[in-house]
This record gives sequence, structure tokens and C-alpha cells, in this order.
Amino acid sequence: MIKETSFAIEVAHLTVSYNAKPALLDVNVKIEADQLVGVIGPNGAGKSTFIKAILGFVKPDLGTVKIQGTHVKNAKGRVAYVPQRGAVDWDFPITVREVALMGRFQKIPWYASPRKKDRDAAMEALEMVRMADFAHRQIGELSGGQQQRVFMARALAQGSDILLLDEPFAGVDAATERAILEVLERAKKSGKTLVVVHHDLSTAAEYFDKLLLIKQRLYAYGEPYMVLQEDLLSQVYEGKLKIFKDVVKKEGN
Amino acid sequence: MLDLFYAPLTETYFQKALIGGSIIAMVAGVVGCLVVLRRMAFLGDALSHAMIAGVAGGYLVMKLAFGLEAHAPGMLLGSLIAAVTTVALISFVSRISRVKEDTAIGIMYTGIFALGVVAVSIFRHYIHIDLMHFIMGDILGVADIDLWVSAFVGAGVLTVLILFFRHFQLSTFDPVMAASIGLPVVLLDYLLTTCVSLVVVSAVSMVGVILVVGLLITPAATAYLLCDRLDKMMALSALFGVTSVVGGLYLCVWLDSAGGGAIMLFCTLQFLVVLVLAPKYGLLFRWMRLRNLVPQQEVEDVLTTVLRNKKPAPVDIIRKYAGQGKNLDKVLKRMIQDGLLTQQNQEYALTDKGNKEAHTVLRAHRLWESYLESIGTPKKEVHSIAHRLEHLDQAQTSAYLDKKLGSPKTGPHGKEIPAKTS
Repeated sequence: MIKETSFAIEVAHLTVSYNAKPALLDVNVKIEADQLVGVIGPNGAGKSTFIKAILGFVKPDLGTVKIQGTHVKNAKGRVAYVPQRGAVDWDFPITVREVALMGRFQKIPWYASPRKKDRDAAMEALEMVRMADFAHRQIGELSGGQQQRVFMARALAQGSDILLLDEPFAGVDAATERAILEVLERAKKSGKTLVVVHHDLSTAAEYFDKLLLIKQRLYAYGEPYMVLQEDLLSQVYEGKLKIFKDVVKKEGN
Repeated sequence: MLDLFYAPLTETYFQKALIGGSIIAMVAGVVGCLVVLRRMAFLGDALSHAMIAGVAGGYLVMKLAFGLEAHAPGMLLGSLIAAVTTVALISFVSRISRVKEDTAIGIMYTGIFALGVVAVSIFRHYIHIDLMHFIMGDILGVADIDLWVSAFVGAGVLTVLILFFRHFQLSTFDPVMAASIGLPVVLLDYLLTTCVSLVVVSAVSMVGVILVVGLLITPAATAYLLCDRLDKMMALSALFGVTSVVGGLYLCVWLDSAGGGAIMLFCTLQFLVVLVLAPKYGLLFRWMRLRNLVPQQEVEDVLTTVLRNKKPAPVDIIRKYAGQGKNLDKVLKRMIQDGLLTQQNQEYALTDKGNKEAHTVLRAHRLWESYLESIGTPKKEVHSIAHRLEHLDQAQTSAYLDKKLGSPKTGPHGKEIPAKTS
């Protein structure tokens, strides 16, 4: 497929408000393809609004979002979404395999049932995140990292070039964090663009190719050393800068 | 004896009740699964209450406009309109005011129910609706027209649910993803609400307003305790719905009780039995699992006792140092199963795996002793406190203590601290 543009996501003049309060104000950013991008910013900075805008859920007051050169309204399903772990009902009667199969739903016409080819694709995605052995487990029986990987598999099964992950590292231990990161890197190698909401500044530089610092406005987008500047962080995080002194120093080297 | 089951089957009223009830209970069971998983149970209750206004309205309009008495399709349509109005009002109120949804449901359905009650009593000369019948239902008096209505409703709702199974599954499980791939989530919500209303409306004439929500959610909740897949849950829930109707109707004939009550009673008993006996999520199983759980602390005490003994230890030595717990035999048996111990002639020896774990615990114990001494804990208490603390997650605590104490080689009594095993 010939792409008209090399950018995976193009956001121009994006302004979104709730009840006269701006959640996003004139955000302009072009995210290149094949990148692992971290979205950072304090609580209430509009990170989730930004994600909703890329998924096409919010109606912007101004501005456009383009996915691979197509207006987001006409690009439904081109961005695969991995929800926060807290947003999922883990008691839902559903098995690992069925969750992965959900990634194929957009390709199946509404009147048809999933075919063998869909089931194979779902299993293949589970292999990729090394969860094939758990295919018949109910999702609540898995550990935190395994659960995260299952939803990664669902996103991979969607076949989208762009993956959007909402805090995949929240509430998992260090070893699990490594395992999830490995899956992300492998997805990147296979040509995916990953946009990841992340809350831990201390690991941000190590994990991501590019960082996107946001607080209503876009403060910076670029290589981690460019974004993790003391003056930028102090503007965005205000009084809480002390904690991040180390981060800045580490990046300075 | 056999006659007890056979005799009612020859009665027409019983046959009709059986057929009509089974159809409705089956469909209610299937829809109920989605109601339970979406936490909409209260809305189901609201819909059943709201429909009395619709029934009265439908009755009145058909009578005044066409002179038709108790026109069933007219009343059905009226109930549907009332149900949809209620849902619309609920979402309107909870969206524009600070009143939360559950309160909005409570306000709206009681209000509309009250409207229906007032309408029925004001127009009592035109419309002949027995409020008692409406509230308690009359499954033993099912008319042919009711049977047809429930058959059509059942077939329609089942068709929709089977056709859009995947869509309902996804939009219930993960509405965000459903919307992101372009599923009409709001439309699906309305479709489901319509299906629930249809089922509720046709079930009310059989079991009554108060019990209909039970028919909707109890079989589904029963199936929920037994299944890990939505399609199986729906099938099982339909089955439980039907068994409730069959069991309840026999109960009602044998005990000469109210029909709707007997059905729901049977349905609830069925739920309680499953709640206790379900293989994976049941109480009995959970209790047994807890009982079979061997406390890690006792396991570790046995390990260190055998290790300190330096040779295979007989039971009485283990009992002396590690056997305060009553279930030592169970602990030992489990440890042999887990490959930590081997047993030869009444003596227990550590396996390689057991040896390794014993060393980990001993290392933690000695490190704690060193630490406790360094912070000035009285000598007499050092051992007993260390004995309690050694059971904390050793990977974390040992690494921390080791670093803090500067990797000591020996403990306070000059005993060697075993090196870290990996």
C-alpha cells in the first residue's frame, strides 16, 4: 500500500473543551510512523482527551486529527486501543482466545460469524505475546502482566498500524513491566506505531523513542533528552519538580 | 407417584402456563445475561413498573378510538411506549442535572407507576384492569392471545440477540473498543433496552410486576456462577429459566399456591443450590480450597527444622520445633507432593529443591537476627522476632538487609549466613 504521508498521526490546531474549560488548546503534532511514543503530563493534563481525539470520540471545537493522512472520522478501526487495566471487568465470562478474536470483529461483516482464518489470526496474535498457552483461561485468572499482554494481542489481531495504550505499566511489578516493554518493542519492529500514555517520568527516557509532553497545550514533542528539560518540566509539573531532578540530571549526561 | 407429575399435564391451563412460561423464561434468561453483565438490573425493575401506565394508556386509546375491549397488541404497544419514555426520561434527568442515574431511575419509575395507578382508578368505568393481577401476575390464566404474543416476542428478541451476538458481547465488554471500530454503541444500547422492555412486558402478565426482574436476572446470575463464556452462559441461563418455570408450576399445583411466587421461589432456590455447589465459583469449593491451603509459614518452619537437624529428621523432632499447628501431617504430605521432602523409614529428608528453599529461609532468619542486634533488640527476643520475620517475602527483605548490613558472612551467634541461592 502506498501511503500518501509518512506520518502516522497528524494533529493540527486541536482544541477541545468541556463546559468552557479547555481540555486541549491548539495542539499541533505530527507523529512519525514506526515509533514508540510516550505521552506524559500530570493528572488532568488532557492525556485521555488526547487519546479520545485520536480515536475520534470527541468533537473538537477546532482543528483536525488525521490518521495516516485520512480524517479520523473516516479512519475508524485504523487505531487499535488497549484499555487501562482498571477499565476492564475481569469477571466477565470471556476467555483469552475470545478477547483476541474481538480484534477481528471489524473485518467480519455484521451478518457473518468468525471463520477459521479469523480464529487463526487471533491465535497468531496470542503467540506473538506468548499467551497462546493460556487461550482457554478466563481473563480474571491471569496475572496483571498477562492480562495486559492479552489486550496487546487483541490490538495486534486488529492489524492496525497504530496502537494506542492507556497506562499499560500502571500497577505491575518491575519484571512484568520489562515483559510488557519487550512486547511493545517487538510490535514496533514489525512496523507498528505505538502511542503510550505513561505516568512514570523516571523510566520515560529509557522506554520511548519520542516523548510528548502535554498539559492542555503541547509543551514539547521530540527525543527524550529534548523533552525532559528542567525548565519544561517545571512549567508543566509546577511545584513537584524536586522529584524529577534526578531524571533531568540523568538525561543531561 | 408418577401420577403426581402426569396429572397436571392433562389440564389445558397447565399446558398453556408451561408453554407460555417456558418461552418467556427462556428469552428472559438470554437477555438477562446482558442485563447482569451491564449492571442494569434496577432498570429492568423500572421498566416493569412503568408499563402499567402504558397498559392503561393503550387500553384507553383502543377503547375510545376503536371500541375494542382489552386489545392485547394495543396494550403491548402502550407498554413499549411507556418503557421507552421511562428510559428517555431517566437518561435526560441524569444527564442535565446533578442527580445520579440510580436515583433518576428510582424517581422516574415510581412516578410513572403512580401515573398508571391513578389512571386505572380514575378511568375504572372504561378500563377493566385488575391491579392485583398486574402486580402478582396470573400464569395459570394465560390466554391464547398471550401465548401468541409471547411466542412472537420471544422469536423476535432471540433472533436479534443471536444475529448481533458479537456486537452485544463487544459493546458490553469493552464499549470503548466497540466505538473505536465503528460499532453503533448507542444504537445497540437502545436495541438491548427495547429487547428487555419487550421481554418484561410479556412476562408481567405471567409472574407480575414485582417478580419479573427476578425472572430476568436470577437465571442469568445462576449461569454466571458456572460459565466462563458468554454464549454458554446464555444457553445455561435459558435452561435455568425453563427449569424454574417447570419446577415452579409443579410446586404451585402441589402446594396450591400462587403461580408467579412458586416460580420465583424455585428459581431462587436453584440459585442458592448453585451458589453453594458450583465447581469453580461456588462456596463449598472455595471453602475446600481454603481448607487445603497449607500455610507457607508452617512449610518454612518444617524446612528449617530439617535443615538444622543436619540429617533426615523423624516426625517427633519436626513436631517439637515446627509442629505447633494441628495439621502437621497434612503439611508434610503436601510438601512431599510438592517435591520439597522425601520420606524414608519414618524420617524426612530435604530434596534439592527443599534444601535450596530451606537455605533461603535460614539466610533470611540470620540476616534478621543480625539486623535486630544492630538496632539494639534485647538478646532474649532476637531469635523469636527473627523467627516471625523470616517468613516475609525473602527475595525483597533479604536483599535489602544484606545491603544495609554490608553483606555479613556470619550472624550474631557466629553462625554462618548461607549465601544467596538463585
